[in-house]
Amino acid sequence: MAGTEPARTVEHLSESPGMGAAFARALIPRRGDTARIPDRAVTIHGHRQDLARLAEYSRVCEFTLRHSVPATWIHVLTFPLHVHLLSDAESSVPLVGAVHVSNDMTMHRAVGADEALDLTVHLENLRPHRRGALVDLVGQAHADGELVWDGVSTYLSSSVSVPGDPEGRDRTPFEAGTPHGLWRLPADLGRRYRRASKDPNPIHTSRLAAKAFGFPRPIIHGMWTHARALAALEGRLADAFSVHVDFVKPILLPRTVGFTSTATERSLDVAVTSRDGATPFLLMRAKDGSP
Amino acid sequence: MTHNAVVVGGNRTPFAKAGGPLAQASNHDLLTAALDGLVARYGLAGTRIGEVAAGAVLKHPKDFNLTREAVLSSALDPSTPACDLQQACGTGLEATVYVANKIALGQIDSGIAGGTDSTSDAPITVSDPLRRALLAANAAKTAPQRLKALSRIRPAHLKPQAPSVTEPRTGLSMGEHQALTTERWGISREDQDEIAAASHHKLAAAWDDGFFDDLVTPYLGLARDAILRADTSVEKLAKLRPVFGGPGGTMTAGNSTALSDGAATSLLASEDWAREHHLPVLAKVVDAEVAAVDHPGGDDLLLGPVAAAGRMLARRGLTLDDFALIEIHEAFASTVLTTLEAWKSDEYCRSLGLDGALGTIDRSILNVTGSSLAAGHPFAATGARIVPTLAKLLHQRGPGSKGLISMCAAGGQGVVAILEAV
Repeated sequence: MAGTEPARTVEHLSESPGMGAAFARALIPRRGDTARIPDRAVTIHGHRQDLARLAEYSRVCEFTLRHSVPATWIHVLTFPLHVHLLSDAESSVPLVGAVHVSNDMTMHRAVGADEALDLTVHLENLRPHRRGALVDLVGQAHADGELVWDGVSTYLSSSVSVPGDPEGRDRTPFEAGTPHGLWRLPADLGRRYRRASKDPNPIHTSRLAAKAFGFPRPIIHGMWTHARALAALEGRLADAFSVHVDFVKPILLPRTVGFTSTATERSLDVAVTSRDGATPFLLMRAKDGSP
Repeated sequence: MTHNAVVVGGNRTPFAKAGGPLAQASNHDLLTAALDGLVARYGLAGTRIGEVAAGAVLKHPKDFNLTREAVLSSALDPSTPACDLQQACGTGLEATVYVANKIALGQIDSGIAGGTDSTSDAPITVSDPLRRALLAANAAKTAPQRLKALSRIRPAHLKPQAPSVTEPRTGLSMGEHQALTTERWGISREDQDEIAAASHHKLAAAWDDGFFDDLVTPYLGLARDAILRADTSVEKLAKLRPVFGGPGGTMTAGNSTALSDGAATSLLASEDWAREHHLPVLAKVVDAEVAAVDHPGGDDLLLGPVAAAGRMLARRGLTLDDFALIEIHEAFASTVLTTLEAWKSDEYCRSLGLDGALGTIDRSILNVTGSSLAAGHPFAATGARIVPTLAKLLHQRGPGSKGLISMCAAGGQGVVAILEAV
């Protein structure tokens, strides 16, 4: 993949940028813009993982605290770089109000909690969608020069547009059924996940902010639901695996949701649904091995 | 060199519903009461027993050495060692297997297996954030550090956490899990209520016959199992509202076990030791097996014992027809019924890696003196209730009579064992 990429300028940051100011900037409406994204990549070299924060993250997402870190944890480490790029003057895609519609990640090998990681993120593949524009935030984590993790987060922004015909998207198939697990998501889950993830988006913690974006109550971070679903499969995936999720519908807090996993010959499929199993919120498919 | 590990007998407290007549007794009190009754029955006062193994499912942190402390409170020789063992509802049976194996290997020549649970005196713990703040304050070196740690405590953190019988990985209670299984296997309300009514009637008849006179010692003024309703009927049970499986569910408080208080023990020994001490030799422990299912992956939570039974029978070259009596722990009436259906199903048994269906049984040999629906189910005690009961029943039927025990347990586990009358 790297061979076909155009050379990008790389901005080096010495530490994870704070996200509060970026979110404040992102709250300024930029309706009707033709979408623009910055071309450069942002990198942090030698990021040292914080064990206490990893432990808090593991508790809130229900991962066992292990020497090998969860794939979604590395996503969390790259997230400040996403925000940094999207709040850039060259970006017209506001992060707040943009909807995380799908996510892909690959663990190329187990990553230890004591490994220093080089984290890089760039934006690409701005494309039309019938409700606005889609953009991919592409992240990579290297350890000692070796690619150990990569991720693609696809966001939908309805406040910008891209000329052209929207592409058809394949939805992960879903069959309604009685869940064989129930998760009780408490009202303060958004606040607890914010402490570990440092994602300051107020629609997850404030009723007022949630209302401003059209939700009657705060919604849980999609990446929490993703992490919780991955935690439910712990022990069943190899060190190297890839996982795709579709964030189908937001989950309002507090709420009890259903969980169903199905093992097929090639993948482990998960549906996080309404309690009765009829409405999907998140669909996930995980496969052993890196593609 | 291996030895015959035999069941000499047993003793338990009567069982009662949570908040009932035994509500004031702790796990330690209950286990000590059961041990002392056993000591009295078999003249073991001042005797050093090889080892006592027992446990509790709902256990207070202060009871980290529950069984040893109960031994020290009992009339047994204080030099009797003990260990705590826990395998959810399989605890009492697993403790039996542990003791029997040590006897068979010649490591000990006598042992006591048991279990106790008090859902009335269940441990209440503090919330995770409060515990972390208190631990941080405790570890702090300076007053400001301590203050900072304590300042993280919020009013919501002060709410005590009661234990739940929810499977940690699925968030479903055992009843909710069994409701899924009940629906999947098409078990009817009528069949469940029949199992429940029969359990009460058989247990009541056994009490009336004096069957439990040498198996139970009265405790705190309670002489009989307090949950037992001799006058219940299928008609009365049919009036109860479903508690699991939604409004259309078939599982009620009548055909599900009640949260219970009680303790049970069983005396095991090598056949030689028992005879030297002029003690009864009821039945030998022939074999046992534990199995588990992948309930987080959607398997039926309480069908763990099916694979265990299949593998154990195959190893022994036995079929269900070889058993004079069968005990299936009545966690729920529908657990018994789905276990029987699973034994009959070629497809299900093959999916467990077995050669095929285990077969069908004559219901007249099943739980002949009632089971947990009528007696109650103090989680860890139930296995140690069943073992001496079955050993006594087999002994009555004559040497060579075999009995099968099947117990489901939390975590998708199942424990099975074979006893044979000596």
